[in-house]
Amino acid sequence: MSVTLTTDAATPGRNSGGSSGGGVPTTVATPTLRALLRRSSFWILAFAGIVIVAIVGVLVSGGSHAAGRALAGDNAAPAGSMALAEVLRQQGVTVTLADSLVEVRDAVGPDSTVLLYDANGYLDGDQLAELAARAARTVVVAPDFLALQALAPTVGFGGVSAASSLQADCSLPAANRAEELLPGGDTLSIPQGGHPLLTGCFASSTDTFSLVQVENATTGGLVSLVPDARVFNNENVTGYGNAALALGLLGESDSLVWYLPTLADLPRTGPPSLAELTPGWVSPVAVLLVLAAVAAAFWRGRRFGPLVAENLPVTVKASETMEGRARLYARSNARLRALDALRVGAVQRLARAVGLGRLAQLEEVIGTVAQITGSDPNEVRRVLVNANPHSDAQLMALSDALQALEQAAGRAVMAGAVPAAEAAASASREFSPPPAERMDP
Amino acid sequence: MTLSGRFVLLLALGVVPIVWFGPSSEQASGVLFLWLLFVLALGGVDLALAASPRAVTVERMLPSRVRLGESVTSELYLTNTGRRRLIAVVRDAWQPSAGAGRNRSRVTIPRGERRLVSLTLTPFRRGERRVEQVTVRTRGPLGLMNRQATLNAPGRIRVLPPFHARKHLPSRIARLKELDGRTSVMVRGQGTEFDSLREYVRGDDVRSIDWRATARRNDVMVRTWRPERDRRVVILLDTGRTSAARVDNEPRLDTAFEAALLLAALTSVAGDRVDFLAFDRRVRGRVQGASGAALLSQMVDSMAMIDPELIEMDWAAVPGQVRSITSQHALVVVLTSIDAAGASTGLLAVLPQLTKRHTVVVASTLDPATVLAAATRGGRDEIYRAAAAERALLDVARVSAAIRQLGADVVTASPSQLPPALADRYIALKAAGKL
Repeated sequence: MSVTLTTDAATPGRNSGGSSGGGVPTTVATPTLRALLRRSSFWILAFAGIVIVAIVGVLVSGGSHAAGRALAGDNAAPAGSMALAEVLRQQGVTVTLADSLVEVRDAVGPDSTVLLYDANGYLDGDQLAELAARAARTVVVAPDFLALQALAPTVGFGGVSAASSLQADCSLPAANRAEELLPGGDTLSIPQGGHPLLTGCFASSTDTFSLVQVENATTGGLVSLVPDARVFNNENVTGYGNAALALGLLGESDSLVWYLPTLADLPRTGPPSLAELTPGWVSPVAVLLVLAAVAAAFWRGRRFGPLVAENLPVTVKASETMEGRARLYARSNARLRALDALRVGAVQRLARAVGLGRLAQLEEVIGTVAQITGSDPNEVRRVLVNANPHSDAQLMALSDALQALEQAAGRAVMAGAVPAAEAAASASREFSPPPAERMDP
Repeated sequence: MTLSGRFVLLLALGVVPIVWFGPSSEQASGVLFLWLLFVLALGGVDLALAASPRAVTVERMLPSRVRLGESVTSELYLTNTGRRRLIAVVRDAWQPSAGAGRNRSRVTIPRGERRLVSLTLTPFRRGERRVEQVTVRTRGPLGLMNRQATLNAPGRIRVLPPFHARKHLPSRIARLKELDGRTSVMVRGQGTEFDSLREYVRGDDVRSIDWRATARRNDVMVRTWRPERDRRVVILLDTGRTSAARVDNEPRLDTAFEAALLLAALTSVAGDRVDFLAFDRRVRGRVQGASGAALLSQMVDSMAMIDPELIEMDWAAVPGQVRSITSQHALVVVLTSIDAAGASTGLLAVLPQLTKRHTVVVASTLDPATVLAAATRGGRDEIYRAAAAERALLDVARVSAAIRQLGADVVTASPSQLPPALADRYIALKAAGKL
């Protein structure tokens, strides 16, 4: 393709403004941006509508997502404890929700109560001890083995309560106000004969209790162990004396820290992460390269105008029927049929070679061929007519014999030793000398 | 709007400032943000400064026809009617078979000026090759962003059949001249016309001595003859589904075109009148009453647009079509395909009607692959293949025999040999005075 500079005089038509003379204004097939927007306005509006509906839906349902954490103070689901926290707030207690020990340290005062529910066992013994030491009152819900070891080594697990009803039956005021507790929960066991610093309430048997209070001999801090977490959740807090117990335990002081440990409390171990090892520019460079790759995709992917359609001709080989028939012969082992086709062709060629006409009889051809090739007529008849191949090897042998016969006949005719053939030829058709008369060479 | 490679490169170059200024993650993110803003602003400016591809007027200059295998130049005049200097790449969207090669070209057109973009076309398929649109992609001064628009600029060029068989024409014309009384070799047939008397020379056929003229003069006179003239030849082309099949990687139809063109060229030299008809269920092409140079040009013109139709040939309508062309005796050449007996029943059924009035020649291509396969007997599969090929050849022979029995003549040859074979048959018929 070449580009040439043209002058106005040498070009056809005119170029002044493209509006007169030969300058028929060229129509543009590509729609303008405005036309494109107008044409696709329905889809744009539909997409915008879906996005708006989705955003509004998320905002409306956002406050009450059911998948909050169990016993969380801001979880209104049955497993949460939002009811308890809200009631305490209405009673004038400052409820602070904490997710890590650092937040607890900030929030806890000398007279604070701390609610601890460590369902996943994130805290280790030292952290538990520190927590119990900082707060005046600590309520540990569903303590695990580590918590018992750290806070009350003499207390053990008592299994699931078998008692039909749990009566307070102890000296703690909160337990007394509650009178009765939800039966069927986990219990804790106290050593036989009691312990001066331990108080057990809601006994299921002589030494298993659903509430155990431990008094620290040195600091005077109180640790209440409630093995059954159901006492505090939204679903069960209104039953029996659950609410009274919970409010009594948690509402003792003006400040309550509602602490549910998270992964942030785990001490960091192991080698430093990849982000700490790499320089700060790695992530932005990665973002930039991704953007460059996207831009490159647009650069290479933009088509230079629409595709050009063209009707292509059918491509059918004329020999396909022949090939198909050959495969049919081969698949069905139609040896005799295939050989007969070869024989008919060979007989016609032989008849032509030895000078017999197209309408010569088969016996005539056999006799003539046997005569000029000097072979046994029975053998020629076997090859041309009688033999029936029973295997592919026999078929190939007969095919070779046919070819050999044709070649022998051709050689014999060439050699000129064909008096019989000439006689047969002169008998079969008349000699026609003028070439102009001969129509069928 | 499109991006260019430079834009991508510039975007990727932002790695340098990000690494340079960004030891911490926050600083690096800030640099990234600023770089993106910078690149987008630069791209926006470039896009705003690019000339509009819509403000281009396109004019096209095309030759109307070209023979298949030859090259022509397509000329495209682009006028910049916009206010800015236009730097663009232009794509002239020809159909692939127009053989345009690389059809993109760079042009720079100052405001209000015009440039010629020329493109060499070498079509590789017969028929009408079209172009509908021209796509112009302009770029801004920085080359970061492009604007693109597709302009309607239709054009078409008719690609004529190649007529390779014309290389056989001189030798056939020479043989035709030999039939005339002008050369020393006398060929005489029954239907030839009396031309003139001349003196006997040794070697002349004694049968052509005119005794009366010899008696008038004192010399032995012989009559000279020339072939008849002003005979009618009707070439009938079968464009039905069998004409789509390829023999030697050439559709049967194209072989038939070659044969028809050679025959028509020869016939018009011989002084006979040629009518051409391409037919399947309706007339696809017809040339009547033309002679000389106009005949061939009209024939290739009508042939250019004929493609094989994937429908069955309506043989029953053929005698009527021939009758509509001529009511006199004529040589009717039917270019079709001779396959199995079942497929040729239509042809065989109408042949008696044609042969009653006319001399009929049926011409068909013979697949050289079949002939080769019949002689190849290597292994088991090849023997079965040879048997199938032999069977196909027998079918052709049987149908040919049936056609001969109905009084028509048959010419079968490989695609390259069919046109001269048909021409030879015509010359033979003319020499025999059977036209």
